[in-house]
Amino acid sequence: MDKKNRRWLIAPSILGLALILSLAWGYREYTMRKNMEVTLENNYQRLFFDVKKHVENVQTNLSKAMVANSTEQNVLLLSQIMNEAYFAQDKLAQLPVPQADIAKTQKFLNQAADYSYYLIQTHLDGKPLTNEQRGQLANLQENSAAFNSELSKLQAQLAEKNFVIGSLSSKQTARVEKGNENIFQTTLVNIDKNMAKVPRLIYDGPFADEMINRKPVGLTGENISKEKAMSIAKDFFGANKVRKINSFEEGEHIDEVAIPSYNFSIQLANTTDESVYIGISRKGGNVIWMRNSRPIGQEKITIEQAQRKALEFLESKGFKNMEPNYYQKYDGGVLFNFVLTEENVTIYPDLVKVKVALDNGEIVGFDAAQYYSYHQDRNLNEPQLSLEEARSKLRDDFEVNSSRLAIIPKGKNEVMCYEFKGRYLYGEFIIYVNADNGKEEDVLQLVIDENGTLTF
Amino acid sequence: MKITKRKVKYLLLTMIFTFTFLSILTYFKPMDYLTEAEYNKALAPRVLYWGTQGEDVKKVQWRLVQWKYLVGDVDGIYGPETYRAVRRFQQKNGLKVDGVVGPETAAALGITLSEARPASSAGLNRQSDEYLLARCIHGEARGEPYIGKVAVAAVILNRVEHPDFPNTIAGVIYQPLAFTAVADGQINLTPNKDAIRAARDALNGWDPTYGALYYWNPATATSKWIWSRKVTLKIGKHWFGV
Repeated sequence: MDKKNRRWLIAPSILGLALILSLAWGYREYTMRKNMEVTLENNYQRLFFDVKKHVENVQTNLSKAMVANSTEQNVLLLSQIMNEAYFAQDKLAQLPVPQADIAKTQKFLNQAADYSYYLIQTHLDGKPLTNEQRGQLANLQENSAAFNSELSKLQAQLAEKNFVIGSLSSKQTARVEKGNENIFQTTLVNIDKNMAKVPRLIYDGPFADEMINRKPVGLTGENISKEKAMSIAKDFFGANKVRKINSFEEGEHIDEVAIPSYNFSIQLANTTDESVYIGISRKGGNVIWMRNSRPIGQEKITIEQAQRKALEFLESKGFKNMEPNYYQKYDGGVLFNFVLTEENVTIYPDLVKVKVALDNGEIVGFDAAQYYSYHQDRNLNEPQLSLEEARSKLRDDFEVNSSRLAIIPKGKNEVMCYEFKGRYLYGEFIIYVNADNGKEEDVLQLVIDENGTLTF
Repeated sequence: MKITKRKVKYLLLTMIFTFTFLSILTYFKPMDYLTEAEYNKALAPRVLYWGTQGEDVKKVQWRLVQWKYLVGDVDGIYGPETYRAVRRFQQKNGLKVDGVVGPETAAALGITLSEARPASSAGLNRQSDEYLLARCIHGEARGEPYIGKVAVAAVILNRVEHPDFPNTIAGVIYQPLAFTAVADGQINLTPNKDAIRAARDALNGWDPTYGALYYWNPATATSKWIWSRKVTLKIGKHWFGV
């Protein structure tokens, strides 16, 4: 009897032990989760308060910039506005709200920063603010003030309700569908709606609307049909080289991209899959890009041989006077940057990239998107400065290895510069000096290794 | 009485199973993360060969002298003697005998090859951009055709340039609620070769979408808002739009 009793006890005691263990385990999980939630929430709160502070700083610095009269003070204030606006944008984008709800707010902050940078440049060129620019600054000030007061209200409400920002990401979708009942998101959505009404900033910078919606200037001629595009694609590879050609499915707004095009995937003769892609512009029927994604075998040809192949290829496609610039060796191929030269001037905006496979010298990549975006007939004026005069603008200890005339893009315009390639303290640099007024327009750092050159 | 016993036994067995399962679930960590060293090895190895000069060559020579493969000067020039010594070393250690010091031979020598660069450009490269993009491509577009992978990377890069979005690659990729593969951790899978190639092609400027800012899979997209975007092109399973 005793024995039986004891045996009967074994199971429950093991069960009991298991229960205790799982409880302990559960508790550990629970505290860990709690810990992580708090850490995350703290981070979100910090971001929110930071956004508020940065926007506040943008607002006050804008007011100061409108009062200040000296160039020096204005440059200082504008550089602070630029910083604070970028900070605000960066932190705002880390909050757990959908992109769509803060897109216009981000744009406002990015453009405010970009615009400040633009104004700093005009200040440094010695140009005073125009009335129009003053008006735009006043507008920016007004909008950042409105933005800031919304954030203040939101902050007060959040404090009152003890709102947890982290709860947004988990129940996010359900909440939006319930009609945006939480104040955090509603406020941000409202701010975004107001931002959409902000008048357009007119200036020259990478985030300006004008730059974003730029149309290609290098494409001329009539719009072509899909059949015509298909035959252009076939001709590009040569007669009887294309076994199969298929068009990509298009959306109804295909015309609203930067370069409206027909796109095909192609199976070449002697291959087993559709691994070649090509894009052909609707306007003018130019090949914008081509890419053969086949795997590349053992390296058999040299960079020099590959470069000759690339040049021959460009000649055959009607690109004359193209000069090889930098190359990058990667994944068994080498990508060359070719730029147009006209009357001994290197025209950087007119860039064509050609990738050559190093196993058999086949052209496996071609990209003329930039060429067709910028190519135009240019009037190349004689530079006002001589090479020596421009050279004298550089540091004395900058060791120049080569120099030439070049056209580089600057905002929406192009400027003619003397290009000086050389060394300074063992680092490789390119310095561009404006050929008309001697201004240092740009400095690039080169990183050269066995795989080619990168510019920074 | 007997039935109860059996019941208890079953219960116990189930308990043990659940328990083991739970503990595996909690403590198991898939080992598919690439370490930085492995990644460097797979991508852009610095290689020393006949004619190479510099600090790295000195390091190699120093080791070879220490281990008595090389009798000669540690002069930092990869000449015939260094070449023969490297070959002897590779032969002895079961490495590919090619007289070239790549990452594997360097590892066997117990050294890491650094790039001898001036301070102004030390550490400047595109590898971190490439790697992050490749991870995102792998998480988001694993099953897509090659051009679809490049297109996904192009959308990310287009966002970086656009005022409506964050201004860095990491900022765009890790923006909360922007990419499902980031939210569910698939971004941490090891990118395959195709993903890395696609990342490089995109970074080198190829944009098959001509400036698209959005893409979504119509079969799985959960956000209603995304349907308000203008569709421009369809590649594989993804729709691209502005």
